[in-house]
Amino acid sequence: MTPNLHLAHISDVLLTWAVFLYAFAMLGYAAEFAAGRRAEARGGDTRSREGRRAALFGRFGVGLTFVGWGFHVAAVTTRGLAVHRVPWGNMYEFSCMVTLVAVTTYLFLLTQPRVRALLTGKQRSVEAVRSLGAFVMAPIILYLGVAGTVLYAAPGPLVPALNSYWIKIHVVAAITATGAFLVSGVITMLYLLKERYERGLPPLRVSLLARLRSPMNPQRVSLGPGTAAAIEMGSARGGLMKALPSAAALDRMAYRVITFAFPVWTFAIIAGAIWAEQAWSRYWGWDPKETWSFITWLGYAAYLHARATAGWRGRRAATLSLIAFGALMVDYYVVNTVITGLHSYAGIS
Amino acid sequence: MTDTVSEELTPLSTAPAPVSGGVARGVGPHARRFWRQLTSMRTALLLLTLLALAAIPGTFIPQRGLDPVKVDDYLKSHPHLGPLLNHLSLFDVFGAPWFAAIYLLLFLSLVGCLVPRIRLHAAALRRRPPNAPRHLMRLPASMQWQTDADPDAVVAGAHRLLRSSRWRADRRDEADGVRTVAAEKGYLRETGNLVFHVSLLVLLVGIALTGLYGYKGTVLVTEGGSFANARGFYDVFEPSRLYNDSQLAPFSFSLKKFSASYQPSGEPTSFHAYVDYRSSPTAPAHPFDMQVNHPLDVDGAKVFLVGHGYSLGITVTNAAGQKVYDGDTPFLPDDSQFTSHGVIKIPNLGGGKQLGLTGFFYPTAGFTPTGTVTSVYPGPTRPRLSLAAWSGDLGLNSGIPQSVYSLPVANLKNIGVTQLRPGKSWHLKDGTTITFHGIHQWATFQVAHEPGKRTLLIGAILVIAGLLASLRVRRRRFWLRAIPATDGDSGGRTVVMAAGLARSDADGFSSELEDLVGRIAAEHAGGPATERDDT
Repeated sequence: MTPNLHLAHISDVLLTWAVFLYAFAMLGYAAEFAAGRRAEARGGDTRSREGRRAALFGRFGVGLTFVGWGFHVAAVTTRGLAVHRVPWGNMYEFSCMVTLVAVTTYLFLLTQPRVRALLTGKQRSVEAVRSLGAFVMAPIILYLGVAGTVLYAAPGPLVPALNSYWIKIHVVAAITATGAFLVSGVITMLYLLKERYERGLPPLRVSLLARLRSPMNPQRVSLGPGTAAAIEMGSARGGLMKALPSAAALDRMAYRVITFAFPVWTFAIIAGAIWAEQAWSRYWGWDPKETWSFITWLGYAAYLHARATAGWRGRRAATLSLIAFGALMVDYYVVNTVITGLHSYAGIS
Repeated sequence: MTDTVSEELTPLSTAPAPVSGGVARGVGPHARRFWRQLTSMRTALLLLTLLALAAIPGTFIPQRGLDPVKVDDYLKSHPHLGPLLNHLSLFDVFGAPWFAAIYLLLFLSLVGCLVPRIRLHAAALRRRPPNAPRHLMRLPASMQWQTDADPDAVVAGAHRLLRSSRWRADRRDEADGVRTVAAEKGYLRETGNLVFHVSLLVLLVGIALTGLYGYKGTVLVTEGGSFANARGFYDVFEPSRLYNDSQLAPFSFSLKKFSASYQPSGEPTSFHAYVDYRSSPTAPAHPFDMQVNHPLDVDGAKVFLVGHGYSLGITVTNAAGQKVYDGDTPFLPDDSQFTSHGVIKIPNLGGGKQLGLTGFFYPTAGFTPTGTVTSVYPGPTRPRLSLAAWSGDLGLNSGIPQSVYSLPVANLKNIGVTQLRPGKSWHLKDGTTITFHGIHQWATFQVAHEPGKRTLLIGAILVIAGLLASLRVRRRRFWLRAIPATDGDSGGRTVVMAAGLARSDADGFSSELEDLVGRIAAEHAGGPATERDDT
């Protein structure tokens, strides 16, 4: 069947709208930070006018995220209807689905009282999850931006190798796991920043600047005017850091998301092997895609083991999880576009 | 209390207990220390990371198993680096001894770690839940209330309720009429964890079975042609180490028709190979529509459609009017639009002469921007065959094996070139006539027999099940103590204390505890909790 180009165009427009809405949502979350800091400067009462305004910005961000999510769902649905098949047949469509899962994961965390309790202790406050909003939205907008420009593929049917019901099983699992890993990656990065802040260390930028200023004498930091300015910046960052949940809470939250995503990823690899056996006559052939999926799997397995190993909990485990996420991104972007293999379904010419 | 909250952060606790050195006992302190090192979590972590790193070169350096031609190209273009990489097995990373060393060490470490853990867990499954700690209210999640029911009734009710919620619960009597219940739940977590790790070994067995007893081979069949599953019929045959010919199932099939459809851009949309197959020479023939994702399953072997191309019907008649060549000649595709090349070798043209033909076939002939002929669409809508004829010694008797798809022309003399449409003939000066009379298609099939497949599937299902249990099930303990009424502070009522401890992943536990206590309190009609200390 030929694709319905009119519907495909509607899908493109809806997706553009979703990206804009996410961008405005991000602005809302950022404004909540700024207003919250001002409120704090005036005594820290969240019921003050500034405090109320901050919460309003935050709620505005959440509202826009929900609306953007609606547009996003509509965009992938119309794409599927336009091409008369599942809307995840090439890299562009896959990216749209991964980001949809990531936003869904974030919204799910936002609405879960148990997660909110986890982040804030006794208070069941939504603010703590909301404070992650800007950081979750940023990579999603980037991801969709790359998808819509570099990876965009015109609507069309599937290549025969993909034409199997396994695309509904293997690829859905891969999408779900990738979307969730994306969220856990953001939370882990925030964890590393917050952990550093809680240890009372200067922010990364300040310490780098200080080291640059005294290359001969790394022990003693010379307090030039630049360093002083940088420390000033550091205290500004403190405001941002204070708004984030505690490092321990971020660590637990990232862990929870990974304990969801890791079995799904395992399932995706196994389903992929079964499909490969159907389509290519072997269940495993060390194709670059298979290998990098395996490397990603090993990375997250190492993370889970590190959390149970004395001396490896916390920062080191978090670093392993970020490395695993890096492998996932190689698996997705580099393998599909640079290395030729059996999974060359990018659909970009 | 021997249990602490230290397990809170141990999702995949691979080494919770000191290894008693079961295997290494009596071997000497060095071996024992080595064994303890090998089976430690730190080593497992190191080996996992090492395995991941070791796999990386296999994705950037061409691999023999994936693309042998690329490896040869690489060796040619890198005369110094190539042999060094070859020496280090870097063109065959996943079969390299150092790669095997890493995963075998990892599995050895796993076994060494699993054996004592299975023993411990089996013991834990038989043991009764541990006694209630003396100071229940000091635990992070605890509650206290009073009731008119006597301790025995409270404990009986709680015990019944816990049992019905699938807790492992146990009633105990303490001094002065104090009654306690100890309960534990979530043993499935460690069970799942052990199942997961054991299943990885099952997977290894499945891989080994296929690697030792399987076979695979490929064969090219033109429409109208057939194939019987015997070694001599294969174009390429790869047996495994312990393979023998009796493993070949005696099936056969013939290719009736092959059809491919394409989008206007030339992207393929579907392939169908219509075959008739027999599971044995005497069995009746069954028709089957083989597709890319739809292999033929026959007698333990699977037949896959892996490639396709054009076979050209070409006849060559010599000057004397004798047919010296008549048949379908497979042409191999060179690009996605199926510009294909092929060769015909005629060692006995007559009169002691030899004739070679090299050709390019364009299913839909068109031009590249630079003006050379190329195929612009993979379907045969404007088929053209361009041929070059060569005379001289084809070198077939030189003893050096030649490919049927290439003809070395360095020592041959070109005696003409032409372009033909189907049905047309070409007359050479020496009286030879070459007729291009038709287009057929060929398909390549891969036959694979993988005896470890069922083992692998079972292993894979257990891997997922074990992983889910080990990551999602929470292990937790619960205690309740009912102290009989005294005339003093409790005002003649029974004091009940309850506390819980999450041994893994504490979130959500306090609400579960609240819910549990609420139901226990309702059970003995003590009314709502009068005093709570819920942290």
